[in-house]
Amino acid sequence: MRGSRRIVLLAIVIAGVWAAFYLDLAPGQLIPRETGWKVAREFFSAAIRPAAVDESGLGVSLWGRAAKGAWLTVVFAATSMSLALVLGLVFGLLASATIWELEDSGSNGWRHSFRRFVAPVLYTTARAFIALLRSVHELLWATLFLAAVGLSDATAVLAIAIPYGGTLAKVFSEMIDEAPRGAAHALIGAGASTTRAFFAALLPLALPDMAAYSFYRFECAIRSAAILGFFGIQTLGSFIVQSFELNLYREVWTYLYVLFALVLIVDWWSGLLRRRLVAA
Amino acid sequence: MARFQIEQATVRYGTFPAVTGIDFNLDPGESVGIVGPSGAGKTTLLRLLNGAVRPSVGRVKVDDSYLDMLSIGGLRAVRARVGVIHQDLRLVPNLRAVQNVVSGQIGRRGFFASLRGVFFPGRADVARAHKILERVGIPEKLFERTDSLSGGQRQRVAIARALFQSPDALLADEPVSSVDPARARDTVALLTQISRERELSLCVSLHNLELAREFFPRLIGMRGGRIVFDKPTDELHNADFEKLYDLSRSEILND
Repeated sequence: MRGSRRIVLLAIVIAGVWAAFYLDLAPGQLIPRETGWKVAREFFSAAIRPAAVDESGLGVSLWGRAAKGAWLTVVFAATSMSLALVLGLVFGLLASATIWELEDSGSNGWRHSFRRFVAPVLYTTARAFIALLRSVHELLWATLFLAAVGLSDATAVLAIAIPYGGTLAKVFSEMIDEAPRGAAHALIGAGASTTRAFFAALLPLALPDMAAYSFYRFECAIRSAAILGFFGIQTLGSFIVQSFELNLYREVWTYLYVLFALVLIVDWWSGLLRRRLVAA
Repeated sequence: MARFQIEQATVRYGTFPAVTGIDFNLDPGESVGIVGPSGAGKTTLLRLLNGAVRPSVGRVKVDDSYLDMLSIGGLRAVRARVGVIHQDLRLVPNLRAVQNVVSGQIGRRGFFASLRGVFFPGRADVARAHKILERVGIPEKLFERTDSLSGGQRQRVAIARALFQSPDALLADEPVSSVDPARARDTVALLTQISRERELSLCVSLHNLELAREFFPRLIGMRGGRIVFDKPTDELHNADFEKLYDLSRSEILND
């Protein structure tokens, strides 16, 4: 056991080193060339003095844009996450081995055949489907939607919700499968159907972890919603691109700090709720 | 009223025979202790009684129905009337004591009513859970989270959950193996008293011969998947127990 673990660890290190050589990675590549220095210096020195007022001369308030961008970023993230949660819960349950495997020795006849022949097919289909959802990144979904139907608010929400739903489903299914099944079996022994036992005694065990992970994904959704601004929806990313194209790095940093604040607020809020879930 | 009957049952896990050709009877309101070394088949006997395992040979009858003849609904109805206290308790640790207790009704109500009972127990359920927890000695723990309770208190919650089923029978698998000796006596006393008060059939497997002889009027000895004796306790002699645990031989070897 220990020997094989050491071999795996060694293999990972070797693969990492080999990949670095294959890509010709060198620290020197991080050093900008000629004119790059100037841009880099301007960009990073802007970090310590972000813009406090509009610098574009377009006559629009910087803080008005920042507030609008932040608000829409949160709205897009929340809407996408709601939809992703529905997808994640439905397919997370279907893709968990537990929901199909909870054994009821009384099962006979068609139940037995269902468990034996139909359940594995449904389980495999659900797992393949959620793999399909999450194998495409939200930016690629956005690009596909943009090409196919044009990016609207609805397609932007879908672009986030689809891969996020797939990821939530995969992680939820694993959390459910890791939960101990003893209590569920006890309720089956008290006359509960496997479905009831699942909801009453298995899901509650997985729920705190599922909630914590969902908050983390909400944080990720805020970043993704901001980035989708690059495609034209009015989230923080769209303002970042505008200021960037005008070389207004100080404005860029203002927006980046707003994004940072948003993530911090969600982190603080989720920490509060998590403590209540675990300690209540 | 629960009347259990096992007829010539054999249970195999894979090729390993857990019990072989056992016969067993338990009348309404009767209580019996099952003793024997580890791996004797005590747990399997209990599992046969609520249909958690099916015999590969032989049959199990509860009241007037053979379990193998019942539909799944019929089997669930039988199970709902049999309260089981598992050795490892099998509670949901992050639910409150009251929620675990009320989950005992899960086989007796409709789908949504039973789940609502667990997650949002109504006033009547809470009152009843409180009364039962009072009977088992921890009424003040009603709204505590189950994982904040001590091992002994959690066992009380497991007993209360079984009682919340309004069962006709209680089955307890090694209820005293994981608690300290002082608690062990309390637990067995509690189970036998409650069963007497409510006229429940009681079947308890245990290692502790002293407690078994003190609290059960009838004892069944098992070894190697077979029933070695099944007698009123006052007709049992030390020789019977020595045979069960091979005490005499090991004592001879030690001398």
